[in-house]
Amino acid sequence: MRDLYQRLAIPPEANEQAIQHAVTSCQHSALRQDAEAVFSVAERREAYDTLHDTVSDIGKLRARLGLSHGAHWQGDVANDFSLPPDHAISRHDELVDRVSHAVSLYNRWRRLRGPWLLIAVFAAGAGIGAGLGLALCWGLLPV
Amino acid sequence: MSIARFSPFELLLLKSRSQVDTATLLLLAWVLVHRQHVSEGQRRRRLAQVTAQFRHGHELGPVMSIAHSQDLQAIQLAAEVVRKECGKERSLSVIHQAITVATDDGELSLANHYILRFFADLLSVAPTTLNTLFKELTGTPLASPEDPSRDTYWQTHDPDYHARKARDAAAAEQQQQQANARAEQQQREKEQRHHQKQQKQQEKQQEKQRRQEEARQAREQAQQRQQEQERQRQREQAEREQQRSRQQDSQQQRSSYQEERRNNHSRQQRASPPPPDRTTRALSILGLNPGATRIEVRHAYRRMAQLHHPDRYYSESEQQVALASARFQRIKNAYDYLMQTY
Repeated sequence: MRDLYQRLAIPPEANEQAIQHAVTSCQHSALRQDAEAVFSVAERREAYDTLHDTVSDIGKLRARLGLSHGAHWQGDVANDFSLPPDHAISRHDELVDRVSHAVSLYNRWRRLRGPWLLIAVFAAGAGIGAGLGLALCWGLLPV
Repeated sequence: MSIARFSPFELLLLKSRSQVDTATLLLLAWVLVHRQHVSEGQRRRRLAQVTAQFRHGHELGPVMSIAHSQDLQAIQLAAEVVRKECGKERSLSVIHQAITVATDDGELSLANHYILRFFADLLSVAPTTLNTLFKELTGTPLASPEDPSRDTYWQTHDPDYHARKARDAAAAEQQQQQANARAEQQQREKEQRHHQKQQKQQEKQQEKQRRQEEARQAREQAQQRQQEQERQRQREQAEREQQRSRQQDSQQQRSSYQEERRNNHSRQQRASPPPPDRTTRALSILGLNPGATRIEVRHAYRRMAQLHHPDRYYSESEQQVALASARFQRIKNAYDYLMQTY
């Protein structure tokens, strides 16, 4: 499996015309024949594109997991689909970070909830008492 | 600290009773998604069968939908979890499950070839171990994946490859024939035009000759008239004699001058040396000056061919090889030409 797009120096999303131009202007006769066989028929190109997507996904995963030099990753595939390691942070570490952040937020909320609840209850009681007193004063309530 | 929300797979992983099982489930679902000719229901049933002893404790539906969306980050997270948590025993069993899921009907899809090998690298399973495991499970050795970026793959896998090729060839031939017919017609038209032009030229030449003839006649008449006049004058005035002699002199001079010019002209026509252009060019391609001997040409050709042979650039890029073969071809053509002419 070779990356024909890379070898013809065109982006994978290139349209028919650009591909046709690149194929006809290719100097390497064997590569030109293979590229013609793949790109001249729509179904073949579709099949090739699906596999191309999967293999480039695997190349990306291998680069992030540090597996670009594995025993099972050799030959044309390794040549064409290996990417430089992009130093992305490990997803698992990121998940652990986020969980610990969420836990600390939750704990803070639990800790602050007790005093705030007392204050709220006290304020509500005081409000109700003041309202009742005013009503009594103005003689609105039958005694 | 990132403010992004938890992704569906992260939530699933956090809720799961066993993180390794959830992660393995996603990886197996990824393999299943890349199996061809299988319906969605069959995929789910197969996944449920294989993972009957897993202790994840959640539905399989969300895992399948994540696998279908090809979420690379989720798969990376699953791979990290599996790598972190799996010992030797467990990793072999994961590979075992992956092979089972990938080859129920004995046929491994191309994508799964690469995915299985990725798992083997991830869980540090050696190629020999993977091969024996695969052979035990399916009865056939693990072949290297076929290459759809080559013409030969489509020759065997495309049922109407030859029909298509024949059709293309027929279309190309038809085009060629049309082009030939057009070229022939153009050639014919050109010949006709050439013929007409020649006719026109002939007419023009005849016209010119006629005009020249007329002019000569006119000149002769004029001369005769002049001579008569001169004779009259001779008869009348003797002192004009000198003048007439001077005129004759000048006429003689003119005629001699004309003769000289005619001679010059014919010499110019004769002196047209053959163009030695191509030979000098061929020599300069081989890096020689004009006048080099046959032996020098041969030595220069050997040297240049060794320098520019495309096999020397085998280890470099295809572009380099193509350039070198173009150079080599030019050198060879020059040498062949020189060998013919020398």
